[in-house]
Amino acid sequence: MRMSLAQRVLLTWIFTLVFLIMLVLKLDDKIHWNWFLIFLPIWVFDTILLIMLGVKMAGRCKPGHDPHDGVQGLRKKAWYAAAMLLKLAFCLTLCARLEGLTEMKLTFVCIPLWTLLLGAMTELGFNIFPNRRD
Amino acid sequence: MLFSLRELVQWLGFATFELFLHLGALLVFSLLVALQVDLFASGMSWWLVFVPLFAADGLSTYFTAIVSIRLYQEGERRLAVLRLLWVLTVLSLKLVCEVLLCQKLAEEEQARDLWFGLIVSPLFILLQLLMIRACRVN
Repeated sequence: MRMSLAQRVLLTWIFTLVFLIMLVLKLDDKIHWNWFLIFLPIWVFDTILLIMLGVKMAGRCKPGHDPHDGVQGLRKKAWYAAAMLLKLAFCLTLCARLEGLTEMKLTFVCIPLWTLLLGAMTELGFNIFPNRRD
Repeated sequence: MLFSLRELVQWLGFATFELFLHLGALLVFSLLVALQVDLFASGMSWWLVFVPLFAADGLSTYFTAIVSIRLYQEGERRLAVLRLLWVLTVLSLKLVCEVLLCQKLAEEEQARDLWFGLIVSPLFILLQLLMIRACRVN
């Protein structure tokens, strides 16, 4: 069963709103919670997305699934999974740095983010110039 | 992933090229932030770090103006005006948030009264507008 656009927007909206409120409260020193707790909406949202992606990928193993339209779709799903993991890696290292658990340079923290952004730009680039995909 | 590109374009009201532009600006901005924090440590002005974001906003406004003029010339007047109004609203809210954040970072002492709730308030307004637009698009 596929969620409607309004449901997906509502899901994204609620988690973004809660995260922004918690972030503002933390930055203004109104609450003194751990940074990992501030990022809780992000963890929950990412987990939901990963579960949805896992269910979709598992659906490909069903006997009735047509394997011919599979390669491109599977590549896309693999990229989505990689993107999610890169985002999680960035958020985790950022939280660890903000919490003082590591003295890692911000450059190293940002490497997953840059990889993710470059991948997203490549994907968008292929959509802007579709003829060059092959 | 959660949204297809078509849905994102419909919902956000930006063309694919504009999304590409803003992603590129975010990439350069994050590179400059990392450089500023790790290497220069107050040697580079925060206003310089925010230049890619301001440039993306400017280019996006220019692109929207061109598209709206073309739409207007082709007789799609209502669509042209609505598109122009929506994109300008989103970009101006984004710009206000960026300028306030930059001011807070650049003038730490003078901008002590500028609390983060105020800086992020344009984003809260933007979130409400996006929710309303999502209902319309749906």
